[in-house]
Amino acid sequence: MEKRDNRLFIHRDMEPVVLNHSVEIILTPQFYTFIRESLDVKFTYQAKQIAASLFDDYLDTSKEYQYHVYKCENEWCFFAYNIDEIDQFLESRGIEKHRVSKIYFAQQLSSELEEPIELNEKNILQTIDGTVTIIPSRFMESNLSYKALNLSELKLTSGITMGGSLNSFISLKETILLSSIFLILGSIFIVEGNRIKSSISNEDEKLTALLDENPTYTSSMIRKSILEKYRPIDKKERSKRQSIKDISKLLSAKSQLSWLMIKKETIQADIETSNKTISKQVNRNAKAKNFKVINNKLNIKVEKKI
Amino acid sequence: MNLMTLQRYKNELIVFISLLFVLFAYLYKLSAYSYVKENKAKIEQQISEINTIVNLKKEWDDKTLTKKVKVLKTVVASSKVKSFTKRSKKLTASYISLTANELNKVTNKLINMPVQITSLTIKESSKNKYSMEFTCKW
Repeated sequence: MEKRDNRLFIHRDMEPVVLNHSVEIILTPQFYTFIRESLDVKFTYQAKQIAASLFDDYLDTSKEYQYHVYKCENEWCFFAYNIDEIDQFLESRGIEKHRVSKIYFAQQLSSELEEPIELNEKNILQTIDGTVTIIPSRFMESNLSYKALNLSELKLTSGITMGGSLNSFISLKETILLSSIFLILGSIFIVEGNRIKSSISNEDEKLTALLDENPTYTSSMIRKSILEKYRPIDKKERSKRQSIKDISKLLSAKSQLSWLMIKKETIQADIETSNKTISKQVNRNAKAKNFKVINNKLNIKVEKKI
Repeated sequence: MNLMTLQRYKNELIVFISLLFVLFAYLYKLSAYSYVKENKAKIEQQISEINTIVNLKKEWDDKTLTKKVKVLKTVVASSKVKSFTKRSKKLTASYISLTANELNKVTNKLINMPVQITSLTIKESSKNKYSMEFTCKW
């Protein structure tokens, strides 16, 4: 095991560790499959889309792999890794997944590993033909001195987060999808809320204009009092006039008015008819107009409460 | 909550915050809806009340009525106007020997005027002749 402050090399023979701070881990080739390809694509996301097909012949199809891509010089560097496997291994070595802030690949240190470094007594790590490889120590010359590599001083970019793939209950894809849906929904609700609120602005303006014209009606008490005064007048006077019109419709050359009186809450009239047929007709029409009718031979008395 | 935990549950946190955003937005929409529901009815009622008052006052509080009622004196020949007494905002008039047409004329004038008819009496005094009395105020 190589431990350099907050960065760790992860390899199969590493000893368990006790951590009380976050670490960045550098995976050795035991935990990933690496392919370097020259592809005619411009963006990383395009390269990532074809990553799975590149590894078709190299990976165990029964496992689920994650892929990482970045541009290395004029080519694309593809990594396939199984995050579950890495997670299980880390746990077996006492590294809780929430302690892992970033994951890098040893391949990213290819230039620093041109000279071999010792991972443990059994293995060394070295770049061979541009690819970082684990080599058993026994294949190395016995008097070879190994380079001391200070991991914390190395500048590493293009790392991946464990949270992005394993720690989270929700994957990055689901996160983007869900939060996009929620943001769109929320925006729709806000726009709709604003539209609803502005829907009474017309009425509000109308009321303001009316109150500007009639400032005395601002008080609901005053409005109530005025309405209480004028509404009964309006109702009664309209009723009186309608009753007079109704009575006049009962009149003809053969049915003539002999008396009409409006007093207090009542309108009454006497109508003289020339024969029984007319009398019946007047009677029927008066009842249709909700008059109380009293027949006295050819004389018809109609009455209505106003 | 340290940075580590935040990092660990970054995705959940983003989803949770966006979910909160939706909830707040929905509550905002609901509050806007209830605000409008409550206030729209109030405003509409106020507008309706004011319009009704304006119309009622225009009709039943016509300041020019004192002049307008004079027409009831001239609508028939002066010989048929038995009495015509106008005091303040009250009128008492009495007509005699009105033909049916004249009776119609006076009655139509009266009912088309926005006055409060306190009392009205029409009697057939002789064949096709009518007398009429009314009191109105405004």
